[in-house]
Amino acid sequence: MNNHWSSYQPGAFYDELITDRGSPRTAARGAVQLFQELDAEEMAARREAAELAIREMGISFTVYTEGGNIDRAWPFDIIPRVISAKQWKKVSRGLIQRSRALNCFIDDIYNKQRILADGLVPADIVLESSNYKPQCRGMSPRYGVWAHICGSDLVRNVDGKFYVLEDNLRVPSGVSYMVENREITKRVLPELFENYSILPVDDYPSQLYRTLASLSPRDRKRPCIVVLTPGIYNSAYFEHAFLAHGMGAELVEGPDLMVGDDECVYMRTVDGPVRVDVIYRRIDEDFMDPEAFREDSVLGISGLMRAWKAGKVAIANAPGSGVADDKVVYAYVPEMIRYYLGEKPLIDSVPTYLCMDEKDRDYVLNNLDKLVVKPANESGGYGIMVGPHASAATRRKFAGLIEKNPRNYIAQPTLSLSTAPTYCDDTIEPRHLDLRPFILQGKNSWVTPGGLTRVALVKGSLVVNSSQGGGSKDTWIVEGKV
Amino acid sequence: MTMLSRVADRLYWKARYLERAEDTARLVSSYHLLIMDIPSGAELGWDVLLRILDAEPWFYSRYRVANEANIVKFLVADTDNPSSVAASVRSARENVRTTRDVLPEETWEQVNELHLFVKEAADKSVGRRNRQAFLDEVVSRCQMINGMLQTTLSRDHAYRFTRLGHLLERSDMTTRVVDVGVMELMERDSRFAAIDPLVWSSLLQSLSGLGAYRRMVGPLLDGASVAEFVLKEADHPRSVAFCLRGIRESLRPLSNNEAAMRQLERARRKLGRFHADTMSPDDIHRYIDDFQGLINQLHDTISDTWFQPEAR
Repeated sequence: MNNHWSSYQPGAFYDELITDRGSPRTAARGAVQLFQELDAEEMAARREAAELAIREMGISFTVYTEGGNIDRAWPFDIIPRVISAKQWKKVSRGLIQRSRALNCFIDDIYNKQRILADGLVPADIVLESSNYKPQCRGMSPRYGVWAHICGSDLVRNVDGKFYVLEDNLRVPSGVSYMVENREITKRVLPELFENYSILPVDDYPSQLYRTLASLSPRDRKRPCIVVLTPGIYNSAYFEHAFLAHGMGAELVEGPDLMVGDDECVYMRTVDGPVRVDVIYRRIDEDFMDPEAFREDSVLGISGLMRAWKAGKVAIANAPGSGVADDKVVYAYVPEMIRYYLGEKPLIDSVPTYLCMDEKDRDYVLNNLDKLVVKPANESGGYGIMVGPHASAATRRKFAGLIEKNPRNYIAQPTLSLSTAPTYCDDTIEPRHLDLRPFILQGKNSWVTPGGLTRVALVKGSLVVNSSQGGGSKDTWIVEGKV
Repeated sequence: MTMLSRVADRLYWKARYLERAEDTARLVSSYHLLIMDIPSGAELGWDVLLRILDAEPWFYSRYRVANEANIVKFLVADTDNPSSVAASVRSARENVRTTRDVLPEETWEQVNELHLFVKEAADKSVGRRNRQAFLDEVVSRCQMINGMLQTTLSRDHAYRFTRLGHLLERSDMTTRVVDVGVMELMERDSRFAAIDPLVWSSLLQSLSGLGAYRRMVGPLLDGASVAEFVLKEADHPRSVAFCLRGIRESLRPLSNNEAAMRQLERARRKLGRFHADTMSPDDIHRYIDDFQGLINQLHDTISDTWFQPEAR
């Protein structure tokens, strides 16, 4: 056995590949065995091959810095994360249930507001949220679905159970990296695939196409679908291009589109204007239409909201979907599942303390050293305080922020994020990770087999965001005995 | 399947920049080989290349002396010169980066690799020792990309606008190459007339036309027949006549092509009026200037018709 692995210590957390007795988990046995047979030189060679593949495939992401935007190569760890298909099946059922309930909630909020009238969710936290868009009142998109693409962040606690940490319903990103990670593994470790039955992930673009096509206002064999990007300088531009290409759809920027006098949306082409049926929107709704939202938007298309409301074009995710993408609303999702679906939640949420609630707030302020405090409305891991790792000064700063603006903060117990063996410098060490699967909803529902695993490359760190030193792993859903 | 005006614009420029990178590499390479064959006393100046490429003002704003090292650096490695090999490859990459979704998947990988190669090696390739190997590699990678596009791109708009950019740039560069020869003849002392064939053969080489010329015209090289050959020999893929025919084929299926077709016909008629044996070097030089003017107008018409339709 290779000494890389003999010294591997999973620690006090749930490890994805190795049990606390030090042996590989059933689903991961074959993979671990293969890695154990690779010596130090061979491991380094594989990592180099992966880095080369990433450069050649041009897989990159953009980081914003004071000195300008930098295009960085995608950070990737060659050891995959392995999950058994049996376990995944349960998780994906829970995710679909959750996404259905969230969509019922959004549709309700912009129409009858039953859940508010029944007092299950306080009306002011919904209606006063900046994510609530009064411009969307009275709309009911096809199938009652607003958030067609949802990226939910899952973590696995020390008890081995998956918990939903948050639901990203605005413009969730990362799915292209899920597909590319598999591509890299195939290039670099082809022998891993010999004895495994791993669910493929590369048909995501066709699943997305099917979902979007089901929204088309015109009944056509091949509706005109476009991916709307803010442009090359957006951090997720790589993904926008990847998905457009995968769907055979046009990748458009705001100036490529216009709304005609007939309230239809057209794109400017070399053959003149062509009508668009479905817009997969990857720009923030605030910048979508200067007529309806921010007037200073140069990315937007004047009149797009009118076209959408007239039913001349479908937009995914629908504007206004973000109302359910709020860390305060998150606390009520289990209630929503019972309320709208009459079902018991199949996947757990993390217990959440709402600082706007006096009792919760007192608890939070007295237990800052044990909790993770998050702003209700940020993404990308910004503005978060991890209590046990924070200095006394930082905790005092956050206490002040909470008291000043309690609606803006929630707190959750510090979860023991699971770990997986990760190839760091020249040893294999446990690193914390999470998982972002993607849930598609149109006429039918579908969940990615696995998702994007993000890993905190810094020892002991819980921050997995690629903008803050996170990496990623290929994620396998493995069928049958290994 | 139609195409966004913005995408057509970028595809067109992608093709122009790739062709420009290849042609500039060929030009420097053939000049590099030529210089070594020239008897001492008949030195050709490297600054001819600057004149060919209309790059003198830009060059002198950045360099003091027009010597070999500076000029090769300027044409090959200087990313502040928008027409250098390095800058052209970078611009081609930027244009592919934003049109990946309509191109065969290998395009991005290959253009990106070319970019990484040039970025890594360009500076080290200014000196004579590594120069040739570097330029050869650039040329062969460009050819690989063109070959890949030729064999995998569907014959739709992506192909048409790629081809337009490619052929327009090529006909522009081919006329410039003829101009090198002509300017040499005009400037050089008649005592050295013996080296004329050397100059012309090196120019033909830069257009991969030497073998074809020998087969089709004959083994003896003289300025007039070489100029006739590279401008008017419609079977040779680097000739201007060949490029114009290809441009016409690409324009024909496009909507609103009337203005561009008219412009193209003007260029074809002008080409028909070229007769090297009755023209002095001076005449040829002026003729080429006029012809390049027509090519530029054709570019403007293409741009106004399909890339910025609002401006119409």
